[in-house]
Amino acid sequence: MSEILIHTENLSFSYTDETGADEHPALDGITVDIKKGEYVAVLGHNGSGKSTFAKLLNLILEPTGGRLVIDGIDLTDHEISDEELLRLRRTVGMVFQNPDNQLVATIVEEDVAFGPENLGVPQPELRQRVDDALEAVGMTSYAKHEPHRLSGGQKQRVAIAGVIAMMPKCIIFDESTAMLDPSGRKEVLDTIRMLNREHGITVLNITHYMNEAAMADRVLVINDGKLLLDGTPDEVFAQRELLCEVGLDVPQCAALIHELRAAGLPVKGDRIATTEGCVEMLAELFENLETR
Amino acid sequence: MSNGISFGQYYPADSLLHRLDPRTKVLMTVLYIVCTFLCRSLLSFAVLTASAIVLVAISRIPIRMILSSLRPILFIIVFTSLINVFMTRGEQLLTPPEWKIKIYAEGIWTAFFMILRISTLIIGTSVFLTYTTTPIALTDALEALLSPLKKIKIPVHDFAMMMTIALRFIPTLSEETRKIMNAQKARGADFTSGSLLRRAKALIPILVPLFVSAFNRAFELAAAMECRCYHGGEGRTRLKVLRFRAVDFVMLVLLVGVGVGLVFLNRNGLGYAMK
Repeated sequence: MSEILIHTENLSFSYTDETGADEHPALDGITVDIKKGEYVAVLGHNGSGKSTFAKLLNLILEPTGGRLVIDGIDLTDHEISDEELLRLRRTVGMVFQNPDNQLVATIVEEDVAFGPENLGVPQPELRQRVDDALEAVGMTSYAKHEPHRLSGGQKQRVAIAGVIAMMPKCIIFDESTAMLDPSGRKEVLDTIRMLNREHGITVLNITHYMNEAAMADRVLVINDGKLLLDGTPDEVFAQRELLCEVGLDVPQCAALIHELRAAGLPVKGDRIATTEGCVEMLAELFENLETR
Repeated sequence: MSNGISFGQYYPADSLLHRLDPRTKVLMTVLYIVCTFLCRSLLSFAVLTASAIVLVAISRIPIRMILSSLRPILFIIVFTSLINVFMTRGEQLLTPPEWKIKIYAEGIWTAFFMILRISTLIIGTSVFLTYTTTPIALTDALEALLSPLKKIKIPVHDFAMMMTIALRFIPTLSEETRKIMNAQKARGADFTSGSLLRRAKALIPILVPLFVSAFNRAFELAAAMECRCYHGGEGRTRLKVLRFRAVDFVMLVLLVGVGVGLVFLNRNGLGYAMK
């Protein structure tokens, strides 16, 4: 559990315009360690640099400063060879926002096979991987379907299966639920949690939904390219003022606790991130009020 | 609905022809086209027509669909046969000698053979390729058959990949077009009235957002493909492996046999034989 999968030190990235003169820093000195098997949510409002962070971890963008070590390989101290890039992308998979723009093939199972096909996985292992991946996301009965006939949540699960089939150690979800309806979001979030709990896959969920962040083991809040907060959901959502300042909010239940405390009620406890935690805290509050 | 668009007219059914290896069907199409051009006598045309009927029968495709595949070329068939009837000179004059328009028996025969040749050609290719083979299987087959060209640096895999992605995105983009059209209609756009120029101009507000979104999709797809380790065709394995079976071999041999038979039947002078 304690083994570190992703290590960044002062990781920075700036966009330059075509002339190369004007620099726009998107990410400014992020230092963070992500352990194997962790479920990490990355919060930030639009333009905060959270998506840039995700793209750096997969080397879709190359860092312009700092150090990035993934799975024991330093990716910033030398030119990256093609083999290393393939290895990295096999280790760190990525699921994007728009489910339509990441499916390549016209049949579900062939799309899932796309990654392992590129890696040169031979038969019959290839077949086995595809079947296992579809099974893991609960899409086995749709193996022969055409992707454009599936719902958004189903498409996104197929995209996840496509990543799982490459057997990554870590999957980054770059706002993968942003374009889905509530039931599609639930499908995808359940799948993410299951992958983390049962398959031990390290999860990085980039999101701007507070409720999704509350499900994680750990929350990183990025603002203006800098790491603002890093802690458990309970710790992070305790900082309501700070979050509001940067244009974020806390989950509704946490907001309720904050309001009650502001009104002078003695609400004890600190498990404010989840609804269950809040309910317990409120129950305790009512007991105390009655016995008084 | 975009779901209603069937691309390439594939007719789903479970027949011998549907189950054949797509590579076999591509080869058979080529052979069949050769066969239609080998025919020169009444008997060989009779055999050719019979083979077309047999193919339709075993493909389990409704006759109605086969006939509808002939409709677009009906004009060409009528036109070429009329040309043949009136322009072919021969020895056996059918019209009275004093007429200006002269029709010879040879002309009638040639026109008749031409009709048979064009119709069997269309029936053969549509039964082998469009009706019984999905576009994606066809792409795979062409990639496999053309793979020797990789040796002379022709990017066969890249073309096949482009074809696959195009097929994948046809429904997505057609749905997008529909959405944009509805959005523009909701703002009062009118696509159905006015002069041709006016209607063409009305399409601009559809095409511009469609192109912008298609490019955005392309960039995202490229990133997603790179994330899934796509690095060209080298060292790639395939989930679906094309496999020649005994039945593929038998069908090819049968068709070659028919071709050879046709050449022999050309010698038979029954009715009429083209020179």
